Amino acid sequence: MRACRTAEKAGIPAVAVVSTGFLRQAKVTARALGIEGVWIAEYPGIVPVDSLPVLEEKVRTAVVPSILEGLARPAKSGQVAEPGPEPRAVVFRGTLDEVQEYFISQMWSDGLPVIPPTVGRVGEFLRFTDRDPDEVLGVLPPEFREATVWSVAVNGVMAGCRPEYMPVLLAAVEAIADPEFRLEDAGSTPGWEPLVILSGPLSKELGFNTEGGAMRVGRRANSSVGRFLRLYMRNVAGLRIPPGDTDRASIGYTFNVALAENEDAVGDIGWEPLRVDLGFRRDDNVVTVQSVVAISPPIYSGGVRALDHLETIAHLMGTTCGPWAFTGLMYGRWHPLLVMSPCVARVFAADGWDKDDIRRYLHENLKIEARWIELYASRVGGGDFTLAALAEGLDSPEVYTRSEDPNRLVPLLLRPEWTNIVLAGDPWRNQSRVYVNNHEQGAPLSKAVRLPEDWQGRRAHRG
Amino acid sequence: MRRKSVKVAPGENVFSVVWPLGRPAREIVTLNPRPSDLDGRTIGFISDYKGKHHEVFQTVRQSLRQAFPNITLVDYPAFGDIHGKDERGVFAALPGRLRAEGVDAVIAGIGV
Repeated sequence: MRACRTAEKAGIPAVAVVSTGFLRQAKVTARALGIEGVWIAEYPGIVPVDSLPVLEEKVRTAVVPSILEGLARPAKSGQVAEPGPEPRAVVFRGTLDEVQEYFISQMWSDGLPVIPPTVGRVGEFLRFTDRDPDEVLGVLPPEFREATVWSVAVNGVMAGCRPEYMPVLLAAVEAIADPEFRLEDAGSTPGWEPLVILSGPLSKELGFNTEGGAMRVGRRANSSVGRFLRLYMRNVAGLRIPPGDTDRASIGYTFNVALAENEDAVGDIGWEPLRVDLGFRRDDNVVTVQSVVAISPPIYSGGVRALDHLETIAHLMGTTCGPWAFTGLMYGRWHPLLVMSPCVARVFAADGWDKDDIRRYLHENLKIEARWIELYASRVGGGDFTLAALAEGLDSPEVYTRSEDPNRLVPLLLRPEWTNIVLAGDPWRNQSRVYVNNHEQGAPLSKAVRLPEDWQGRRAHRG
Repeated sequence: MRRKSVKVAPGENVFSVVWPLGRPAREIVTLNPRPSDLDGRTIGFISDYKGKHHEVFQTVRQSLRQAFPNITLVDYPAFGDIHGKDERGVFAALPGRLRAEGVDAVIAGIGV
């Protein structure tokens, strides 16, 4: 629909061709893009599973007549949206159960019980920021609503956060509001989830779990911050699964709890924390948000040498990324995250390896058979994709095209520095896990956490 | 404000709650008049290079040529891949490219 909008803005009438499964999303997107009246010619069915004769027949008998109708019929421009209630206006009064039912009926809930967002509770959250409640942090697609400090507090209340998490919540929303994050693609069919990663001393102060079960629900800070971001994307960005129209996740999975880096372990081992890897200062607190589209099995590695561990980690990382690596080639971004127990990291450090050494090894050694890249790209996108075409514009396209043997091995990672490494999890168990991001959609985006003046005083006042 | 009128049990709280969404900030685009007749017009195809787009556009092309002998069709490579590595660059250049090709109407797809 963005192409239609661009054309219409340039003074040229446009029609869109969309298959049945994407019609509702296309209509909602058109409305959000301000081109509600643009004609959509429906391809009836699922393009990638239709044979060529069936496809041609459908295009001739359904798509083309619809295109012609759309180019002949006068188009009606959309209406300016209702602004909605004033932020501080009370929109509903009721008991706890009634609030739940009302919010569910309005699609303002993630399906779990929410804490009622009263003005008083929202005010408690606002005490933990110096920012103006009406400050606009960004306009979030696909519904293009303003993300404000106020609405961060409201959804923070609802998700069960403590008020002092507010600076972390603001940084997370600033991250997803950055156009580089590509929030407009968060409703794409792979069904990726955002992952909040907190690096800094604040994680300890706010009670984040960095050890056993680091990625499980059970600790309020990790659970509620993770829940908050998904809820915020639903309410303010407008990404809603059916009966909503904008989230096209085919299957998807549930929200991620926030991941907090084990600050003590990083220091003990002598490695740099994630925030320093990303260009921030050691004394910063930094929130990174990235997409996660797949998670590896638990990776148990053993031995006293770095290579003993890396062989296992690389194999399981490679099989987890697998053919989905085609998306990295197609869009030129690919950022897997390796979460490693401190006890595994200690083996690397004792063997003289740092994080850059690990990244380099993974970049050089993770490979996949070329035929899988081409085959899977075609299965997902529908059509023929060659490695040569996919590799166009990459740093070293020739490494993908040196041979025509479909079974040749080609690199799975694009750049060594694009693999982030975070120490977390049980420090007494030799386990790692890989979280695969969805190429340029939700590539890691980091924002420094801004604490208000007299942070400690405000914390002490709350008790 | 919506208010429930059911009975509240003794000791049960009533909550006055605020709106969790945000003000819509969308810009309305005025849609352009459609061409009265496609014959003699220039139509631009814009593709996301997905969903067997080549086959779909090929069939659209054939049908349009058959129906409108004097139509001019500008194929999608002239405008670039709107869902590829250089998506932002392609979109930024799109208005200029459409004008340079003298396009009167656009057909964009394929949303799979």
